Amino acid sequence: MDEDVLTTLKILIIGESGVGKSSLLLRFTDDTFDPELAATIGVDFKVKTISVDGNKAKLAIWDTAGQERFRTLTPSYYRGAQGVILVYDVTRRDTFVKLDNWLNELETYCTRNDIVNMLVGNKIDKENREVDRNEGLKFARKHSMLFIEASAKTCDGVQCAFEELVEKIIQTPGLWESENQNKGVKLTHREEGPGGGACGGYCSML
Amino acid sequence: MAADSEPESEVFEITDFTTASEWERFISKVEEVLNDWKLIGNSLGKPLEKKEDYILHDRPFKMKLNSGKEHVIKFCLKMNILIFSLLNVFVDVIPQSMQDLLCMNNDFPPRAHCLVRWYGLREFVVIAPAANHDAVLSESKCNLLLSSVSIALGNTGCQVPLFVQIHHKWRRMYVGECQGHGVRTDFEMVHLRKVPNQYTHLSGLLDIFKSKIGCPLTPLPPVSIAIRFTYVLQDWQQYFWPQQPPDIDALVGGEVGGLEFGKLPFGACEDPISELHLATTWPHLTEGIIVDNDVYSFYVGDFVTEFFKICRRKESTDEILGRSTFEEEGREIADITHALSKLTEPAPVPIHKLSVSNMVHSAKKKIRKHRGVEESPLNNDVLNTILLFLFPDAASEKPLDGSSSTDNNNPVSESEDYNLYNQFKSAPSDSLTYKLALCLCMINFYHGGLKGVAHLWQEFVLEMRFRWENNFLIPGLASGPPDLRCCLLHQKLQMLNCCIERKKARDEGRKTNTSDMYPGDAGRAGDQLGPDNLKDMDKEKGEVGKSWDSWSDSEEEFFECLSDTEEFKGNGQESNKKGGPKEMTSLKPEGRLYQHGKLTLLHNGEPLYIPVTQEPAPMTEDLLEEQSEVLAKLGTSAEGAHLRARMQSACLLSDMESFKAANPGCFLEDFVRWYSPRDYIEEEVIDEKGNMVLKGELSARMKIPSNMWVEAWETAKPIPARRQRRLFDDTREAEKVLHYLAVQKPADLARHLLPCVIHAAVLKVKEEENLENISSVKKIIKQIITHSSKVLHFPNPEDKKLEEIIHQITNVEAIIARARSLKAKFGTEKCEQEEEKEDLERFVSCLLEQPEVLVVGAGRGHAGRIIHKLFVNAHRLTESSDEAAAMAPPEEELKRMGSPEERRQNSVSDFPPPAGRELILRTTVPRPAPYSRALPQRMYSVLTKEDFRLAGAFSSDTSFF
Ligand SMILES: Nc1nc2c(ncn2[C@@H]2O[C@H](COP(=O)(O)OP(=O)(O)OP(=O)(O)O)[C@@H](O)[C@H]2O)c(=O)[nH]1
Ligand SMILES: [Mg+2]
Repeated sequence: MDEDVLTTLKILIIGESGVGKSSLLLRFTDDTFDPELAATIGVDFKVKTISVDGNKAKLAIWDTAGQERFRTLTPSYYRGAQGVILVYDVTRRDTFVKLDNWLNELETYCTRNDIVNMLVGNKIDKENREVDRNEGLKFARKHSMLFIEASAKTCDGVQCAFEELVEKIIQTPGLWESENQNKGVKLTHREEGPGGGACGGYCSML
Repeated sequence: MAADSEPESEVFEITDFTTASEWERFISKVEEVLNDWKLIGNSLGKPLEKKEDYILHDRPFKMKLNSGKEHVIKFCLKMNILIFSLLNVFVDVIPQSMQDLLCMNNDFPPRAHCLVRWYGLREFVVIAPAANHDAVLSESKCNLLLSSVSIALGNTGCQVPLFVQIHHKWRRMYVGECQGHGVRTDFEMVHLRKVPNQYTHLSGLLDIFKSKIGCPLTPLPPVSIAIRFTYVLQDWQQYFWPQQPPDIDALVGGEVGGLEFGKLPFGACEDPISELHLATTWPHLTEGIIVDNDVYSFYVGDFVTEFFKICRRKESTDEILGRSTFEEEGREIADITHALSKLTEPAPVPIHKLSVSNMVHSAKKKIRKHRGVEESPLNNDVLNTILLFLFPDAASEKPLDGSSSTDNNNPVSESEDYNLYNQFKSAPSDSLTYKLALCLCMINFYHGGLKGVAHLWQEFVLEMRFRWENNFLIPGLASGPPDLRCCLLHQKLQMLNCCIERKKARDEGRKTNTSDMYPGDAGRAGDQLGPDNLKDMDKEKGEVGKSWDSWSDSEEEFFECLSDTEEFKGNGQESNKKGGPKEMTSLKPEGRLYQHGKLTLLHNGEPLYIPVTQEPAPMTEDLLEEQSEVLAKLGTSAEGAHLRARMQSACLLSDMESFKAANPGCFLEDFVRWYSPRDYIEEEVIDEKGNMVLKGELSARMKIPSNMWVEAWETAKPIPARRQRRLFDDTREAEKVLHYLAVQKPADLARHLLPCVIHAAVLKVKEEENLENISSVKKIIKQIITHSSKVLHFPNPEDKKLEEIIHQITNVEAIIARARSLKAKFGTEKCEQEEEKEDLERFVSCLLEQPEVLVVGAGRGHAGRIIHKLFVNAHRLTESSDEAAAMAPPEEELKRMGSPEERRQNSVSDFPPPAGRELILRTTVPRPAPYSRALPQRMYSVLTKEDFRLAGAFSSDTSFF
């Protein structure tokens, strides 16, 4: 079954506690919304295979807890991730203000710099919006991230967010194929040196 | 052939190599290739190089289409074309290759295929034996090949010259043919080790050329001559290569001593430029070429390469050092391991720690003593110097000062160079790991190679254990949890330091018994509790596995908290499941850190305190990897998710217990307001009296019955952090690290540290480049950095890729060394005039980047004058040698062109004789008969001290003869 999977990608979801990270993930993997979802302890993990542009990719998604005290546990999961989804709650400005901290953490713990980042403004179904769409857009542009607004409750933008992210990862050269790269691609090595009189040998006069 | 259709004859053919059909097939194969490669008709501008292999007899042949590549003619010298067209109206009918014979643009290319050099051709096909031992030696075979070529060319109408390589490969002998409509050029060659007298001067060569042409016309049409003399300068009189190998004795004896271990040497061991070639071409050009010294040996490159070689060694440290050194200590070692295993065994009896460390320490001394001076790969002086360099704190009386490990006042610490470790996944350049890498590199090169490496590593591991046993922090490591951006070995050392730090704090706390702080929070001010604390501790002593400082406890692993909680439940101790605040308030608050703002407890309005908590366990990347694997293995089912949360709830539980201890009688709501404030929702409501009041409640997700938070809260007992079971078992983790270090073979070590060594090499090269400021090198260094960061970020980079990086670094070093050598030789620094200096600098940088550089103004230019002087000085030294007589100076040679019989004048010249003389003779004459078409004729000769070659291309009209 895994035969036709192009690659396995590691995706990380981060953001302040209660912004709806686990809900977004649940919506994406199981297409449900569970208001009874407990606050995440440490990290949680889900798998889903999706196909983008005819390429099947298996996603291993790590959902981290937003609580301050758990954060010391999570840096390990930044390692080797190819994509990061950074979530804030459009109805709580403080979760938007804290984004800078999260980016700092990303910078500190990510092992590579070509990783694809996506900013998601969640809970747009709610009425008491505190963060304007344009603010989100501006922030994403400033930090070269993908941006989308979504609602785990109504399903808006969720599928699209993940697909977009995966597509971008697949388009980034060297980000995902690295493990298989060695099989097909041959490094062009230096031309065989002056062939010591063989017919192919280039030489200077003497 | 008819035989082809008969099966028996096919069998016959396979065994009989001389059948005619085989040759016919060969011809048709050649034709097929020529067709395939689209070489039929006028073929200029076709793709550059193609190859095909063919086996004739048992002998494989290679066919190769070759073009002169960059030497493609852009325009022809007008004079020649003019002469040519006057004499011949069919000028554009002859093949391009024949026209090339007369073109001067391909004369004396700096670097080209020899057939380009010898015949001025731009495109040709070579049929050459595929292997050295398949050389075509006999004349009959040679003729047979040549006639097949001729037939193939005739059949296909291919106008590209076809060559066959004959004789041994090293002789580079080629014969060939080119056919056009009614015209043919034969390419012939003479190669001699001994030079016949008449070939040493122009007139003799002219005679040969004329007789070869056999021109029936009188007078002979003018022969154009191109000459190039190459002078080689090998004696650099006024310049001595200053690079001395580092003085090993100085390393050991002198005060500078250890400092040298932190630096990579740089430069070439020998002068990287062995020769300067000066080529003078008549009538219009003077050119210079540098020839690189082939015996490359560069310090940085060699260092890294040698170090890298260790990666392939399979021996363990013990095997390398010889088992004998350990046999005697075998018993002692066993004792130690026994003691250590006791130490980690869950035993209720607390082992007296001091005795263990004493044992280890004395054993260590014995090992050193036993091995003796003569057996040690490293002598004591070297070893001590290195150890002092690595552990500078050992020199002072009290080496345990933690501040040395945390000092980050390094001025460069924020610079781009400093942060390179980030990209290379190495270690900071001021770290112990980095220094260790350099020392091992140095040891490997100068002090006993692999054995030395093994020895130093063993000493290093002993030192690590010593520090762990004696609570001495390891210097040269940033404090805090392992830095995941560094190499694993660095992380392991940091981990060990974390363990030492905690153990030290604990031991000190135990000694004084006054400080009540949790070791991990040593920095934080804890609330001081009275001496009654001591009693508590004593009380707890009996309970195995309860108190966090229990020596014997090795069971706690972060995912084993499941049994943990159950144990707590089953314990049935003053259960606060009901959360009865009344009974709880009577408890004395413990382990308070500080008051949390203005928050008060919900039930009694007491201030809410943030508790002292346990620090989370530091982790190295391999542990984290393991952990995430375990977590991922639980799968994505609901049960899996639940289990995963449970496994990670140890920290939550511990924090809840601390919180309860600090805030007697608190509710989950209180805890949540500190821990996850967003899960406590406050609303302004109007109470029955009509006042606005804040009413708060837990968020929906916290209120779900029996969710893990509620579950944990109900399980948690009020226990301050310092009396909780340790979340991080420093004893066990330290032993794990020490074991890991001990089993690393030199090969493992080399792999661990290679990023550091590459890092150091790049820094060194960068530093040296800064002094020389060579723009091309700057670019290459940047490329090396990006390339390396890609390669080194993968867990097990391929050897080939690593070699590539090392090779690139060596190349950069070579360029810099060459630049230095040239600058010194041309005295660019000494040059006083600004303009002249610029000129020279430009000339030198061109020499570095181009195969051949025009000497502007020839002997009268700035560079020219210096070159002249260099040659003159070199010549003066060898003047007495009569070799000069064999090769005439240029003026003379030119003079003799007119009067060949004139005896060589022994005029005093200040110039050395040329090392090589090249000559091209060209003309256009009708051949073979006077009424034939006038066709290009060309002869090239090159004469060096021990080699002479004539390459003639003679065309003839085949249509009317
Ligand atoms: N209206 C609305 N509520 C949402 C949405 N997404 C999540 N929620 C609610 O927000 C609360 C928090 O959601 P979670 O998914 O648990 O939040 P989280 O980011 O995983 O929080 P932590 O695990 O603590 O880091 C829950 O009560 C969800 O029901 C949404 O799109 N719309
Ligand atoms: Mg969650």
